[in-house]
Amino acid sequence: MCKNHFNPIHCIIPPYMIKKLMESGNKKIADKAINTNFRNYRFRNDRIFFHNSSLKEKRILGVIAKQVGKEVLQMKVYDCKQKTDLAGATLLWDSKNNQKITSLAGKNVIKGGKASWDFYWQLFGRNSIDNNGLLIKQYVHFDKGMDNAYWDGRRMVYGDGDGTVFTSFTIDIDIIGHELTHGVMENEANLDYENQAGALNESFSDIFGIMIKQRFNNQDVKKSNWLIGERVMIGPKYALRSLKAPGTAYLNHPELGNDPQPATMDKYQNLPNTSAGDWGGVHINSGITNFAFYVAAYNMGGYAWDKTGRIWYAVLTDVKLTQNAKFADVKNLTIVNAEKIYGINSPEVKAVKQGWAEAKV
Amino acid sequence: MKVKLIRTGGFIPVTKAAETEVNLTDTELVRLLEVIHPDPKAHRIKDGNYYELTVGNNSTPVDLDKVPDKYRALFSKLKSDMRIIKRD
Repeated sequence: MCKNHFNPIHCIIPPYMIKKLMESGNKKIADKAINTNFRNYRFRNDRIFFHNSSLKEKRILGVIAKQVGKEVLQMKVYDCKQKTDLAGATLLWDSKNNQKITSLAGKNVIKGGKASWDFYWQLFGRNSIDNNGLLIKQYVHFDKGMDNAYWDGRRMVYGDGDGTVFTSFTIDIDIIGHELTHGVMENEANLDYENQAGALNESFSDIFGIMIKQRFNNQDVKKSNWLIGERVMIGPKYALRSLKAPGTAYLNHPELGNDPQPATMDKYQNLPNTSAGDWGGVHINSGITNFAFYVAAYNMGGYAWDKTGRIWYAVLTDVKLTQNAKFADVKNLTIVNAEKIYGINSPEVKAVKQGWAEAKV
Repeated sequence: MKVKLIRTGGFIPVTKAAETEVNLTDTELVRLLEVIHPDPKAHRIKDGNYYELTVGNNSTPVDLDKVPDKYRALFSKLKSDMRIIKRD
């Protein structure tokens, strides 16, 4: 739970860099790094302790607010009116009043936010993004024609699209679930947003985003088309990503060309850790781990969230999932958690192993 | 001089760019780039867009929220003129 950090930089610096800084000849830098390392150590141990404590213990310790009745969704939706000033956005909808609204984008994010909250609460007993009833804040109509949606560390923000290649980013429920899951991730392992850890971060968001959509539409693994953002991209042949066949979500698009995602580890793309390099290909190499999930889920059959989702959620909240995890670490954790939940020689474990084998991880 | 605004990042990584002629002295340009330089400690926004301004062969990351009023119209125009650069 990164919110307890003294300094946000503690969430960003990977352990190997801290180790290097601790050995620095510059006393000031070394002292700071030792202090950071100590805080990180305490933070990790706190996380393990709280992870293993019961709900009652968590409430006594003040980690979870005292129950005042049934946990309910708390959400506010704001209208940015095509400006970029989030602080100046107008309140459009509040779950406390549940007033009627006419804005289509507003209605979309209310529906998506509710579906996402229900998914985490009803399946995993998770109360909102932080598992502590955090108010979900969603901002629609951000900027003029912004063709994007993002999680800024506190809220979800959606643009209306440019009207040519993209329409409103509120139109697909999986995009809303994807952004909300970035918030969940920041409250759990908080995977670094670069290289393999970043691709895993993106992959968890895609995986939970697609499951939120499948559950909302009551689709099993065979009925689902496994496409993320199938309506936001204008044109019936296009979607943003495919978990079933990464690299095929859009082909020969007049503006975007071809979907760059690989499906297997031998096609992993080493890209620069810059924004232009997609922070080492976080939205590109996520295709590999997305594909592993798809194969595992398909082989297990039924609804993805029933078994495969349960395993991936156990990994998402596993204290052994470190900030700089690599694909192989998540592979091992999914196998270990599947063994814990379903038994060592279970068909579920076999399906998980098949998933990773197909993705060549 | 010619300036080019480049946008990268996003839910699917798409690069967009637009350029225009501006009438700025070197001093004004340096001052502007100092003012709109992003906070290096800023938290990475998940699926966020990032911008850089290219002048000649030099590119500098910029934070559009920091653009002074005097230059708002210039950056608004650049943003609205941006076109997708197709991937290779």
